[in-house]
Amino acid sequence: MKKVLTFVLLACVLVALSFGATTITVSGWPGNPTEEAGIKAVIDAFNASQDQIVAVWEPVPGDFRQMLITRLSAGTGPDIFYVDVNWFDEVAGKNLLLGLDMYIRRDGYDVEDFYASLIDGFSYRDRVYGFPKDFSTLALFYNKEMFDKAGVAYPNHEDSWNDFRVKLEELKAAGIETPLVIVPDVNRFLPLVYSFGGQFVDENLDSAIDDPKTVKALDYYVSLVQDGLAQEPASVGATWIGEAFGKGEVALAMSGPWSVGYLRDSFPQTWEKTAIAELPHGEKRSTMIYTVCYAINRGTPNKDAAWEVLKYLTGVEGQGLWAEKTGILASRQSLAVLDTDPTKTAFYLGAEYGSAWKVETPSGIFSEANTQINSVLKDLFYEETTLDEAVQFIKANYASWVEER
Amino acid sequence: MKEKTRESLYGYLFASPIILSILIFTIIPVFTALYYSFTNYSPLDARKYEFSFNPQDALSMHLGFFPDEQGLTVEGLAEWIDVELFMDLDVGVNLDEEQVALVKQHLDVNRLLQDFLDGKLATEMPLKEFMGTYLTQGSEKFQRYVPKWVWLDNFNKMLHDEYFWISLKNAFFFSIVVVPVQTLIAVLLAVVANTPIRGKGFFKAIFFLPSITSSAAISMIFMLIYTKPGILNRLLGIVGIVPVDWLENPATALPAVMIMNIWTTAGYFMVTFLAGLQSIPTSIYEAAEIDGAGFNRKFWQITLPLLRPQVLFVSIMGFIGCMQVFDQIYFLIKNIRNMTTSFYIYQNAFQYGRMGYASAIAMALFVVILAITMIQRKLVPDEAYF
Repeated sequence: MKKVLTFVLLACVLVALSFGATTITVSGWPGNPTEEAGIKAVIDAFNASQDQIVAVWEPVPGDFRQMLITRLSAGTGPDIFYVDVNWFDEVAGKNLLLGLDMYIRRDGYDVEDFYASLIDGFSYRDRVYGFPKDFSTLALFYNKEMFDKAGVAYPNHEDSWNDFRVKLEELKAAGIETPLVIVPDVNRFLPLVYSFGGQFVDENLDSAIDDPKTVKALDYYVSLVQDGLAQEPASVGATWIGEAFGKGEVALAMSGPWSVGYLRDSFPQTWEKTAIAELPHGEKRSTMIYTVCYAINRGTPNKDAAWEVLKYLTGVEGQGLWAEKTGILASRQSLAVLDTDPTKTAFYLGAEYGSAWKVETPSGIFSEANTQINSVLKDLFYEETTLDEAVQFIKANYASWVEER
Repeated sequence: MKEKTRESLYGYLFASPIILSILIFTIIPVFTALYYSFTNYSPLDARKYEFSFNPQDALSMHLGFFPDEQGLTVEGLAEWIDVELFMDLDVGVNLDEEQVALVKQHLDVNRLLQDFLDGKLATEMPLKEFMGTYLTQGSEKFQRYVPKWVWLDNFNKMLHDEYFWISLKNAFFFSIVVVPVQTLIAVLLAVVANTPIRGKGFFKAIFFLPSITSSAAISMIFMLIYTKPGILNRLLGIVGIVPVDWLENPATALPAVMIMNIWTTAGYFMVTFLAGLQSIPTSIYEAAEIDGAGFNRKFWQITLPLLRPQVLFVSIMGFIGCMQVFDQIYFLIKNIRNMTTSFYIYQNAFQYGRMGYASAIAMALFVVILAITMIQRKLVPDEAYF
């Protein structure tokens, strides 16, 4: 009897939903429990604020991009979904996202409030297709206790990459086996390229890996591992940078705000001894900005309703609630100035001079080049190839990795 | 209806679930992949003519005018419109050269602008309907996404793709080591499990366990075993071997996965050999024992030759499985230098957006496996001893 009752109730709710209001599905990858609770709170707040539209949060675990592309190809995509700035060009270039300029103009929506570096990341050929939900930047986590024991001065805002290397050498000399943890990933290496004054691709979107300053940055990055100053997380028995740092195996790590909550929960003892500084600088300051936007599926039958949901999610109210619940970095400057958490200072500063984690390509697809170059970086770490060979290999093959399909 | 017709009709009716599922999930995909291998098929383009848009908004964006503004004329607006840019940016559809030429020639700009000024465009319409309405001819080119036929471009590209050859070489290396070793171990396990020792049921179950365990779970466990501070390095450390990061190091990653693969599949094939052993008449062994043959002699001269059909079966199935190994590579291999062909197909199809190229590699892999299987069958004549 109970079962029947539940069923009838459920059916009633579904019927009411389908006739009474427009349902808008919002999809993304599930975050940690705090983030899940945060997004649900925002969605609930939206649903409570009006009765025309019912927003539903549908997280998809696993490879979200792949799922999204498959569903969009089949015409069954969610109405609103996350798009990472890293593969934004690919979906925007295939015209799968709803252009927002007409809606912005119609409603006089305040776009200026978003950090310019973020909103630029979600523009394709000068048209806006998404609003950043939040952002992260890379900063330098360091273990104060290990520095104290080794008698080495803490990293600070003034340090150049050369000073940084000297400090690593001092730590090593003081008996710290692995001072730094790094990974062979393009996105961790790019800030060095930019801060050394080099470029990664030239104005024709060809590879600029042979630019002397880029080569210098590459040499600097891989020699950290070759000279025993840094190791990959796996080499210290960790699956990722945050874990390696949390276990106290390394004194330094370049990571983002996602590590803060993780360290606080999983390694509270390490977290107590942790401080966060900005990344060292070269000719310039640079860091990597990671950001994800909410975008609207161009194939949605309910464009106006989806726009209303999007407006709320990324508006001052929605994002304010999201930031309050989760402690993320707000992409709206009006909310960012309200954030007084001292651990976030270094990350917020990065938004001023950082570059969004994306590489423009003719096809809009960087993933193949990413895999290939990561593999080269790894080979360099283990000295399976030489710097010259690596540069030549990338230069010779880059075009075929990013060409139009 | 005749009795016979009705009978066969019922027959097909009963068989229809399996016929349909094989047709839908095997036969059709195989031929579709064959077709795609000659095209530049991109799944993201599949719905590009289905999207609906609001022509009035698109035109307003393009022209910078709204239809209700004063003093607009069709002639005046016609000067502002750039048809190619309008389609590309404001309507939002990627067209090939032929389609661009068609649009430039045959788009009825006057009618479009007149309807714009009359406010008739303010409703959403699918792109294909828009093209049907405002293109004076050639609109059939805008109804359905048809991938471009590129003849042998994909195959040609494959021949010059260093990573295709690396992946094929890895798949071969994988198979050539894994197949003989796993077959031999499976035979040995079967022989041991077939002898009347205590607790043989227990051993059989233990040997068979890896093959019914989820390959993802096994991969995760081996990932832990193979890490630098993992148990393998600790054991080797006792003998004084320097710890190696087995999966991260490009030189050891593939052999590490091979060992795991052998461990997983040997037990599975053991069952096949066990069945084969049951069918060997005990009288042959008895005769051999009377002639004074020992265990070794019996194994090499009786057991193995009489297991020949099973060896053939296991080696063919093992080879096909190894050439197509995907899941363990997907979980454990980080470096593209160590990937196998199936993984490269997956990468191209789902990560790099090259479905056509991925289909071509899949076809090539199919041909390679087919050829090797035929050779194997030639080399080992079945039923030779019976």
